[in-house]
Amino acid sequence: MNVSSKITKAELAQPMKHECENHAECMKMIQMILDGEANAEDKEHFRQNMDKCMPCIKTYHLEKCIKESLQNKVERRPCPEKLVAAIKAQLNY
Amino acid sequence: MPVIMSEAPKKRVYTDTQKHDVFNREFMPHIDSMYNFAYRLTTDEDDANDLVQDTYLKAFRFITSFEQGTNAKAWLFRILKNSFINDYRKKSKQPAKVDYQEVETTYNSEDADASHTVDLRTDSVQDMIGDEVANALNSLPVDFRTVIILCDIEGFTYEEMAKILDIPIGTVRSRLHRARNLLKEKLRDYADSMGYDA
Repeated sequence: MNVSSKITKAELAQPMKHECENHAECMKMIQMILDGEANAEDKEHFRQNMDKCMPCIKTYHLEKCIKESLQNKVERRPCPEKLVAAIKAQLNY
Repeated sequence: MPVIMSEAPKKRVYTDTQKHDVFNREFMPHIDSMYNFAYRLTTDEDDANDLVQDTYLKAFRFITSFEQGTNAKAWLFRILKNSFINDYRKKSKQPAKVDYQEVETTYNSEDADASHTVDLRTDSVQDMIGDEVANALNSLPVDFRTVIILCDIEGFTYEEMAKILDIPIGTVRSRLHRARNLLKEKLRDYADSMGYDA
């Protein structure tokens, strides 16, 4: 049995973490991931680790849910027609 | 990445017809987003009307500073944001301006975030309707509300936000992070009051 397979086994046996020792850094990374601003390295780190740490999983789903609620649930007010007409009138259309 | 507004804008000479053409083609398609931004900033329909009208008239007046083919939406948002700060914030009943220096120093200190976990469940947020989320957003100090509107509602990149707000990208990131923590607190308080977590 070589070293790398031992590591793999150890990793597989690793239990889900319920405390995150890097949570402040993780929160910053999760924000960048959700905002589409993370670089390739961060994305890869996230992909490989996201299912190993319960506080980070919860944070990810909560932040994602809030972002989607803002995008999809908060009413968008269209510009009133009267305002469009008023602007055009001022510019002598 | 297009430049939103160069440091020393190249002035162009346009005929009146060309000005109207640029205005219609580049600026008018963003009027719904602009109105929505103005409404979310002022939380008042009349103020939003005035703010959008002022912004579009300014945009027309300074149209020669706008470089065609660059990011018109960010250019317009920047003018609107500046008009809001100069003309509306003074007379509005918004909470006092946030002390950024203090907020951002706190953010950048080592343990700022570790101690800042808001106890809010995803299910509680999922159960909320749009008005409840909007109320939580509206209750934030306007400077924090602004970054959330720009990022989450309007979908601007950090780089675009930095140019609209005249702040470094690192500050966009930290202000956004702090804004979201504040929003979570508001949502948590609301969820608690509704007994969502009971």
